[in-house]
Amino acid sequence: MSSRWLRFILVILIGVAAGLYYGWVVDPVQYLDTDLSDLSPDYKTDYVLMTAEAYSAERDFDLAAQRLAALNGASPQAIIQEAILFAENPGYTDTDRALLRDLNRAFQNGEVGENRPGS
Amino acid sequence: MTGKERGSLYLLTGLVVGLALGLLYAWVIQPVRTAQSTPATLKSADKDRYRALIAAAYAANGDLLRAKARLELLKDADPYNALAEQAQRALEEDQDSKQARALGLLVVAIGQENGSTPILPLISSPQIGINETSTTGSPEAVQPTRARSKPALILTASPASTMTRAASTSSESTTTAVETPAPTSGSTATQPPPASETPQFTPALTQTFTPTSSPTAVILSTRTNTPTPGAQFVLENQERVCDQVLSDPLLQVQVTGTQGQPVPGVEIVVSWPGGEEHFYTGLKPELGLGYADYTISSDETYSLRLAEGGQTVNGLSAVDCEGSNGERYWGAWLLTFVEP
Repeated sequence: MSSRWLRFILVILIGVAAGLYYGWVVDPVQYLDTDLSDLSPDYKTDYVLMTAEAYSAERDFDLAAQRLAALNGASPQAIIQEAILFAENPGYTDTDRALLRDLNRAFQNGEVGENRPGS
Repeated sequence: MTGKERGSLYLLTGLVVGLALGLLYAWVIQPVRTAQSTPATLKSADKDRYRALIAAAYAANGDLLRAKARLELLKDADPYNALAEQAQRALEEDQDSKQARALGLLVVAIGQENGSTPILPLISSPQIGINETSTTGSPEAVQPTRARSKPALILTASPASTMTRAASTSSESTTTAVETPAPTSGSTATQPPPASETPQFTPALTQTFTPTSSPTAVILSTRTNTPTPGAQFVLENQERVCDQVLSDPLLQVQVTGTQGQPVPGVEIVVSWPGGEEHFYTGLKPELGLGYADYTISSDETYSLRLAEGGQTVNGLSAVDCEGSNGERYWGAWLLTFVEP
């Protein structure tokens, strides 16, 4: 193969690499109509925190589970534990962390019985 | 064209072809998909879920500042209207649901906070009707007569009754807190939700994060959870309104303050033999922050008063109207309360 062909293939590869970098890193596709499960970790953590805040007043285990299920995670507990880890970041208050732990305890215990509404 | 120029052109062509292939692959064939989206890009149904959860959290902790910061994340063109519309939809689906109530409480709270400055037009709907009688009130007393097939929000308890955890996070009175949205900032009672548009933690109030700077913002907690006491208002005007757009007989209430500004969050009690319901102004912001309406039955006679006392208006029954062609339709009673 002549050096001319080699140079041609080389610049094509350079162009492909540049195109991929631009399309994936510099200006990636912006998705619209995303799901709650696509939220970035900080927003997911805030979503879980809101669930915990609401749960602290409502004490409605089923409703909290339903809200967490909207995140399409592995399990509610896994989602909460991820949120607890993320909430170690500065900016979350001790109250926030306590609420998340409270929600976590509720799911660990299954909240069978007294905290279920109507029971 | 010399041979050297042809050679350069040849390489440039290769580069352009490569770029095109790379972009085709990156944007069309295999676009990058990461879990990095923001609430603003959520599909409509999930935005509704997110908004409902914001309202539920507000109903639990009473932190209006945080609720508003969270609503901002959705980047609605008009967050207040979006919230009010969702509250309306929730009401139409199930008036007694926790969700409808929480959404309503948040609408009222935000409306109350905005109530001092009429940021929304009193009427923005093209479905404005005509009045059977002339308006006797102030110039601001435009008559909202848009049709409503469902009653306004029915709330059976004040927002304060749900603030079971409020004491742990903030006080009832106005407080001042200093927030430093830097990585070393401490916890504050009124800190907005810690979410950002980047994977790193960013205080949502500014939605930008600059680790090298530590701007300090003074945030006033502005919890306004108690509807304005009704005893401050007196009935200024009572009139029949005929508008063929109205599909059901209505009681319409307009409450304005001393400066003629609409007052949201005023609890209104409507009663009839064997029943009573409560509704609030400000839940239909497109008709004005001081506006509320209630669909009545054509068979009953109603009484209406503001919740915390004041004058009771009796003998309110469905208004029977006649169109220009002799057709009959239901109208409304418009009651205007003002703060002396």
